[in-house]
Amino acid sequence: MDQLLSAIFAGTSRGAIYALVALGIVLVWRGAGVINFAQMGQAMFSTYVASNLIMHGTSYWVAFVVALIVGTVLGAAVDLLVMRPLSGKRSSAMMASPAMRGTIPVIASLGILGLLQSAAGMIWAAEERGFPTPVNSLGLSINGNVMPFTAFDIFVIGVVLFTLFVTTIFFQKTGMGLAMRASALNPEVARLSGIRTSSVRTLSWAISGAASSLAGLLVTPSANLSPNTLDLVLIIGFTATVIGGLDSLPGGVIGGFILGLVISFINVYDSPSDVFLAILAFLLLVLLVRPQGLLGSKEVRRV
Amino acid sequence: MLKIENLVTEYGAVKALDGVSFTAVQGKITTVIGANGAGKSTLLRTISGLERAKSGTISWADNSLIGKAPESIVRTGIAHVPEGHAVISQLTVAENIEMGALFRRRKHRTDVKQAIEEVYELFPRLAERNKQLAGSLSGGERQMLAISRALVSRPQLLLLDEPSLGLAPLVVEQIIQTVNDLCRKSGLTVLLVEQNANTALAVADYGVLLSLGKVVANLPAAELKADASLRAAYLGY
Repeated sequence: MDQLLSAIFAGTSRGAIYALVALGIVLVWRGAGVINFAQMGQAMFSTYVASNLIMHGTSYWVAFVVALIVGTVLGAAVDLLVMRPLSGKRSSAMMASPAMRGTIPVIASLGILGLLQSAAGMIWAAEERGFPTPVNSLGLSINGNVMPFTAFDIFVIGVVLFTLFVTTIFFQKTGMGLAMRASALNPEVARLSGIRTSSVRTLSWAISGAASSLAGLLVTPSANLSPNTLDLVLIIGFTATVIGGLDSLPGGVIGGFILGLVISFINVYDSPSDVFLAILAFLLLVLLVRPQGLLGSKEVRRV
Repeated sequence: MLKIENLVTEYGAVKALDGVSFTAVQGKITTVIGANGAGKSTLLRTISGLERAKSGTISWADNSLIGKAPESIVRTGIAHVPEGHAVISQLTVAENIEMGALFRRRKHRTDVKQAIEEVYELFPRLAERNKQLAGSLSGGERQMLAISRALVSRPQLLLLDEPSLGLAPLVVEQIIQTVNDLCRKSGLTVLLVEQNANTALAVADYGVLLSLGKVVANLPAAELKADASLRAAYLGY
């Protein structure tokens, strides 16, 4: 019983983090049509900033907020400094074909990832370092009974649920949220309605950056921090997104939670060495049954 | 007044508009008719900023629109309802309408509310269905929704692209009459693109006949309607 509960809790808290990563991926995919491979590189960078502040005596919470701000700014900067100038070069020979227009931003994001990882290595040295948690990450005990979950698990789940709640309210109830949905669904009608779609796109990158940096802060305590630690998180987060449906925010989030649970159950009931096999098998199964992902729309992307 | 002079718009090597000149008079309905591929939609898309003009001028209330983005042009009082009942199907009816007024919701809060009430009065069926997704509406309702989205921006010039496309004659009649009433009552200037020349010329004040990107006739609507030789040569009936 305890084993089952602890698998569920660990899976939910890990899944919550993948849900955040998926949220970041879907936002940029829907808002800008780009799979951003630099996403967790940006998160790694902002987590390093937090780590450095904490090492120099700043409180965890101040560092936490600063990292979120750095993540947001980095997200916006990727769009303003790289993606927007790239899409402005539509008339150039290299960007003439639609296939290249789709591919080049993705390649650029890989370049940014490399840049961020080498910069982090140069600034902070490449060796691994730990990252603290704001609450205890050992088994929580209540009245002397050790619970099958930790205070940090609860913290992670709480923070992520709160974030998802705020994001939902933002998208469903505010004018800016409506502008973002409209721009993603039909940029032409959005522009004719007076929505400044390029600013909206930058906002998607910024929010995606914030969500990713939050994921970075929450996942690093269990993974240690090095320039490459978050690569794996991106891969799993991306798999979660594809499982849930690349163009659906709720889909990505649900995919994240499901994948977190799958991983946790394999860890507890089978062996950690089978985790990757299980993820791939699960991905294959979903793609065979529902190629568009669990909540993705059927519409094929027009090329 | 909308004044267009020597407008040229190209798609690659194809000149979709080849030196178009005409004016749309304030408070009147000007209809642009012509066969498929005459450049009618391109004309509207160039005015609203969706396509870039190669050369020529477009002036609206004495300001040039050349080089401006669609999101800036709509702020000058020009609303474009593109072809094909352009609404966003995954958003609700209410959201589609609200979208049209987003850009002025802060400065004109009460007027936006009023504009939204007005379009619901104009098209009561949209009010009944305002929580439904736009994708669940019939073709006619979608066209009404697309027009409503444009109207809540409080335009002085309405660009309407083929509102009759794929709709039953009765629905077309209703939509055209509504536009006609708007123009007569509130002084809205309308530029109506239609393939269905009879319907358009019945309500329009002026008719511009386009063929292969050139203006071949620019006459009061009644005269254009009466000219059998022009109709036979360019519209095929």
